Amino acid sequence: MDRDLQKRTVEALLFLSEEPVKIDKLATVLSISIDEAEALVGELKNDLASARRGLQVFEVAGGYQMGTLPELAPYIEKAFSEDVSSNLSTAALEALAIIAYKQPVTRIEIESIRGVRSEHVLENLLKRKLIKISGRKEGPGRPLLYNTTPDFLKYFGLKELSNLPSLEPGGDNLTAQEKDVTDTDNAEEVITESTDNNINSISN
Amino acid sequence: MVQAEYTIKLPTFEGPFDLLFHLIKKAELDIWSISIAEITDQYLAYLHSMKELNLEIASEFLVMAATLLRLKSKLLLPRSPKNLDQDEDEELFEINTAEELFLRLEEYRLFKEMSVYLRQQEEEQQKIYLRSTGGQKIMVLNRQESVYTIWEGANHLSDIMLRFAEATKTDAYNPAFSAVDDFIIADKSNYIEMKLLQMKRPLPMSDFITVDGLWEVIITFISLLEMTRQSKVMLLQERIFGPILVVLKENEGLKEEQGG
Repeated sequence: MDRDLQKRTVEALLFLSEEPVKIDKLATVLSISIDEAEALVGELKNDLASARRGLQVFEVAGGYQMGTLPELAPYIEKAFSEDVSSNLSTAALEALAIIAYKQPVTRIEIESIRGVRSEHVLENLLKRKLIKISGRKEGPGRPLLYNTTPDFLKYFGLKELSNLPSLEPGGDNLTAQEKDVTDTDNAEEVITESTDNNINSISN
Repeated sequence: MVQAEYTIKLPTFEGPFDLLFHLIKKAELDIWSISIAEITDQYLAYLHSMKELNLEIASEFLVMAATLLRLKSKLLLPRSPKNLDQDEDEELFEINTAEELFLRLEEYRLFKEMSVYLRQQEEEQQKIYLRSTGGQKIMVLNRQESVYTIWEGANHLSDIMLRFAEATKTDAYNPAFSAVDDFIIADKSNYIEMKLLQMKRPLPMSDFITVDGLWEVIITFISLLEMTRQSKVMLLQERIFGPILVVLKENEGLKEEQGG
């Protein structure tokens, strides 16, 4: 398979997939190394841009995906007049921000930071599959723990959790900061795992 | 009357921290340089204006008001003379409680900023349209895949039901009793009833199994269950794995005969 054909195959796969495609998936399909696959995706990205096409390839949720250019949004919306997905509420975004950085995290912890009850918000986020229940915290009451999902990354166009801007250190509470870092690390593992599942389901 | 001309728009706040944060920003102050007394007054003033507008005030806002008042009163109370020599400790304690509030506010501020960042990301990402076949995707069962796939990633019972419906369509799905037609059972039931009437005594279930094979056993058993449901017969079994005795219910005499 010559290189040109490989690149066209990458384009076709990204075009067809509704979910982000992982680089190792592309590499396996084309029987090439991950570095080569990445180079191909990079070239495809540039090709689309330099040919001034309406499509772009971007990195999201640990994979690559093809989508339309943002500046075309008004025309696309006009053409399809689809129900424009409603934005999340401010409360939902606050809760998501806390979960993203502190995961796995309990409802009480979220509420104590926000200063308001958040049951309803969490329910909605669960419904939208932006968060999931990842388990229970050991201790009194064994409260549920919440994590973000791969859909969270997709929704906000994030490559991975570590791509979130780092929380500014507020004052000298270093211990709290350190804790954040380890929590995020754990969460990353969880996310990679579930992204794997996602990609598997595409291949099925 | 004149008031109706005005449209008063109060910003909505997600919670007490959100309101406090707003007040601090309005005063162009740093969280660490706010005065508890001032912020308490402003906070209460805001709650008052909400009350005047007949807006419902969530309990969290009131709890925060109480907390602020407690902090403020601590600052206003003169220190008792006997504690003068412990001045530093006392001071530390006072700062600590206010500091706790500052720390909480600071933490809230970080996540508040992060939620603004997420909002920007959301807006950007919503401008990008992805390929979508639309509608609900249903995983198709391949030969290599187990039925387990039906459950995988399903968040709702309805998901599972949809997938199951799909699976029954595509696979050579064979419900165990699909071939048990009503008339076969009716036939067998008639046969059982006739035989019981003829013999005028309870008979073991095995007497009704006329042909060899599992299918015949199943049909007989289902027929008997159906007849039991209709109160036509009674099934008796004296011990586990013992013979099942079929008694015709309509004829009480049969039972007495059996008893005697």
